Amino acid sequence: MKNLKLKAARAAKDLSQAQLADLCGVSRQTINAIEKGDYNPTINLCIAICKAVDKTLDELFWE
Amino acid sequence: MFASIGLAVGIIVGLIICVLLAKFGNKDGAVKSKYDERQEAVRGKAYRYAFYSVMIYEALMLVLEIGQIALPLPSYILHFAGIIVGCIVLAGYCIWKDVYWGLNNNRKRYAVIFLVTAALNAIPVVPMIAGKTTLDSGWLNVIVLIMLAVIGIELIIKEVVDRREAEK
Repeated sequence: MKNLKLKAARAAKDLSQAQLADLCGVSRQTINAIEKGDYNPTINLCIAICKAVDKTLDELFWE
Repeated sequence: MFASIGLAVGIIVGLIICVLLAKFGNKDGAVKSKYDERQEAVRGKAYRYAFYSVMIYEALMLVLEIGQIALPLPSYILHFAGIIVGCIVLAGYCIWKDVYWGLNNNRKRYAVIFLVTAALNAIPVVPMIAGKTTLDSGWLNVIVLIMLAVIGIELIIKEVVDRREAEK
């Protein structure tokens, strides 16, 4: 399932996938895979993403 | 005796060159490439497929040997080809799943290393093709060149596919 909330939060921060990937210490393709719903990140990566886009885990990853 | 020492020195020099090339190819000067959690997971799968491929290849070689079916190449070249089959499967799967390049890899520098490796492997092959030497070990270089060609072509195809998807 696509993670549109992450995509929207990233866009709101005016970050590209590559920029968010750099902030989280992962590859651009990994951010792309999370947004497309192809990859379920670990809790550590979820927290790193949340900190980068100033959102909570609930806001980004809870349905 | 001297041949063994020469072989040992050759292997050590080869390993040192590999370490120096890895340091040159990585942005942070590290010897090892760094991967994120998704890349590590997918690469694990790639190693598994590569292992299965080498196992199947070696089983096939075993059957051919037991059946006393002679192949036109010496056995050490055929076993080396098995290693290369594993490398091609590993690299191919990694490229297709976007996990070939590490986080700290400098792609341009790796492209240079790739081309230099291809050129060095082409040197012993040219006289072999021209028929000036019948040295069997030239086949090792041919096999490496085939692997480099397959990886190179797959990298280009993946780049084209990614660009088309980005345009969409």
